[in-house]
Amino acid sequence: MMKNFNWSKYSKPIILAAFIIVLSILRPKAFLSLDNFSNVLWSVAVIGIMVSGSIFVFLIGGIDLSIATLCAFSAVVVVSVTHMLGDTPGAVIAGVLAALIVGALAGAVHGVVITTFKIPAFLVTFATQSIFLGLAMVFTNNKIVSCTVPAFTAIGAFKILGFPLPVYFMAIIALISWYVLRKTVYGRYVYAVGGNATAAEISGINVRLSSIVCYMLSGLTTAMGGIVLASMTQQASSSTGAGYTNDVITAAVIGGVSLLGGEGTVPGAIFGAVLMGLLNNGLNLMSVPSTHAGLVKGLVIVVAVAFDAMQHADQSRKKVKKVKKASA
Amino acid sequence: MAGNTLIEAKGIYKSFSGVPVLQDVHFEVKAGEVHALMGENGAGKSTLIKIITGVYTKDDGQIFWEGNPVEINSYQDCQKLGVACIYQELSVIPPLTVAQNVYLGREPRKGVFIDYAKMNQMTQELIDKYQFPLKPTTVVDNLGIGQRQLIEILKGLSQNSKLLIMDEPTASLSGKEAEMLFKIIQKLRSEGVSIIYISHRLEEVYMLSDRLTILRDGKNAAILEKEDIIPAKVIETMIGKVVDESAGSRKMLHSDDNAEVRLDVRGLTDKTDRYRNISFQVHRGEILGLGGLIGAGRTEVVRAIYGVDKAASGEVWLDGKKLNPSPKSSILEGIGFVPEDRRNQGFIPLLSTTKNVALTNYDIVKINGTSISDADELAMSKRAIQAIDIRPSNPDKQVGVMSGGNQQKVVLGKWLMRDLKLLIVDEPTAGIDVGAKDEIYSILEDLAKKGVAVIVVTSDLQELLRVSHRIIVMRKGDIVKEFKNVEVTQSKVLSAGQGVEEEAE
Repeated sequence: MMKNFNWSKYSKPIILAAFIIVLSILRPKAFLSLDNFSNVLWSVAVIGIMVSGSIFVFLIGGIDLSIATLCAFSAVVVVSVTHMLGDTPGAVIAGVLAALIVGALAGAVHGVVITTFKIPAFLVTFATQSIFLGLAMVFTNNKIVSCTVPAFTAIGAFKILGFPLPVYFMAIIALISWYVLRKTVYGRYVYAVGGNATAAEISGINVRLSSIVCYMLSGLTTAMGGIVLASMTQQASSSTGAGYTNDVITAAVIGGVSLLGGEGTVPGAIFGAVLMGLLNNGLNLMSVPSTHAGLVKGLVIVVAVAFDAMQHADQSRKKVKKVKKASA
Repeated sequence: MAGNTLIEAKGIYKSFSGVPVLQDVHFEVKAGEVHALMGENGAGKSTLIKIITGVYTKDDGQIFWEGNPVEINSYQDCQKLGVACIYQELSVIPPLTVAQNVYLGREPRKGVFIDYAKMNQMTQELIDKYQFPLKPTTVVDNLGIGQRQLIEILKGLSQNSKLLIMDEPTASLSGKEAEMLFKIIQKLRSEGVSIIYISHRLEEVYMLSDRLTILRDGKNAAILEKEDIIPAKVIETMIGKVVDESAGSRKMLHSDDNAEVRLDVRGLTDKTDRYRNISFQVHRGEILGLGGLIGAGRTEVVRAIYGVDKAASGEVWLDGKKLNPSPKSSILEGIGFVPEDRRNQGFIPLLSTTKNVALTNYDIVKINGTSISDADELAMSKRAIQAIDIRPSNPDKQVGVMSGGNQQKVVLGKWLMRDLKLLIVDEPTAGIDVGAKDEIYSILEDLAKKGVAVIVVTSDLQELLRVSHRIIVMRKGDIVKEFKNVEVTQSKVLSAGQGVEEEAE
């Protein structure tokens, strides 16, 4: 009977259930409280929002290492602009728009530089990571800026039917992202570019433009994550969103998104986000110091990737070959 | 000069999934001779070499090295015997010096340190002995491809190799570099090193080889001594005289000059001189065969017509309209393109048949607002599967795991869903079994009957004669010959492609 069990089909819900059961046993009071539930949801929402955009970049075989610092920079922008314009509800809207534009522009720059100069995405975003961090510091004189206007803090804190607003944002953005990837022609092109860019080009797809849009979407959702984080904590600094690059990439990988491109779905990535949220929360509840948390998350990435590689042993080997060839 | 037998392969059999590739092949190389190995694509040359170098295991037969029976089960085994293979794709490491590359992994040591002085000295000795135009301390990065190839040869010699295998060594060399290589080969021979020389270029083979083994359809066609190596005879033997008289290799071409011109190519010239001043026309309902050797510039020309690469100058007209070729505009104008390298350029391996078929056709798939109609997409895929008999017929099957023939059918099938004016296929049946080949030919013929102009680029002479209504032959970037409304044979086409003047019959 075990032989016929389709592990890959049910692995996700099983892993999720196992996680929840383990945490419930180890920390029954803390984990199962209502307060903690919304903590988990917040954490999941931020990762979920960001991964819904970043998945586009992963699907074309790219990567974005600047997620955390772009998140910080857009958080700084929304708070600073809101403050500059007099902390009115209108100023909040302007601040949010400014942050979104910054995110989209940053993504566009990534896309244009990567496709024009044919530089690997990890190098470009590795460099811009430091640029965004620098910008966040310059904007704030390397201090914490805060914003406690109700119109702004509501973004992260307001609850509908018991769920905080960011959860709804995540649901909407994930749904849009799912729709685009699953139903639209552009979505088909994204998978084609990630699966075989040369064949995509020959099939009449504008590979360059498609890729640039992917990076823009990633920048846009990263900025959204930054806005939500700033609102939740009522402040922004150069360290807002620290660690989120890892969390988003890990969520995607756990969710079955191939970093080699061409493979992965939004529901998968959201599953990864939920698992990361639980993992973060679990580490917190178990009083694992933040220094050790990174270690545990790193191990989770390795295990998830190894597991994925085992399942796709044959295919990924072929793809790696292809990637090597292309970069030679 | 040539002495005792160095390596001898006797009665070699090999088949892949039931299809015999080598049958009772005999191959022998003497010490100190340059032995050329020739045959058409698919004649079994590479399979034979891979058996000798331990990449494949033979089904039957025996290999003798200096008279003793040997088992070669891996490349290491053959290296130990003293065989070195100079690969087309070079494996030298650019940032290292010549000497570092030659002794890579076998560096002479002084304690734990590498003894560079000794390494350079040993390399210099080899260089002096065989008169290579190299210096041990030059960084490879600064060397041309020809010199890099010499490093590969040096590497083999440094391991005391007695037999060097060179597979198309001049394919990517300039004329000057090739001259250099020929001198080295002659020097090596005089030092008693044997060389197996595989090349499509007849001139080189005539000039260099002491003996010549010709394979045809996986069997020995001939073993010729130096004095018997005559161009016309070699070509005849490669193609097979018996076949020559059958219908398959002799064909009367029928092309209707009065038919409406669909494609008109005018003076197409490449930026990097891979082809120049190419002009030709293809008529409604005509299948034009584009023949010539690999590297003659045929692929580059059709890529420029379709617009994957841009030509430096020249014009492409379709149905009286001047095009500005790019893949997207070509598709919309009614041009289909099946690229040469199926695996790397033809399809998206991770995606299903449905999504691969639909990829070029989203302008005709039904789309509700922004949402693709899954039903319509699936219906198209099913039409393609039926029209061209793709197996497995499951439209959700990932194309990457299908057989070569079915992958090609997917690539071709997506174009059949469109209203085509011109279809370009580049090596349409490379690596495909005979049954699927015939199916692909009949699809091309059906398209032509419907008025589509078809261009077939192929290195397979049988295929060229089988499908073409008219043939043009390219050589080194120029159109050198057109066969129109005449009787052609494989040898005529091959001679034109190789620049051999054929004697009057």
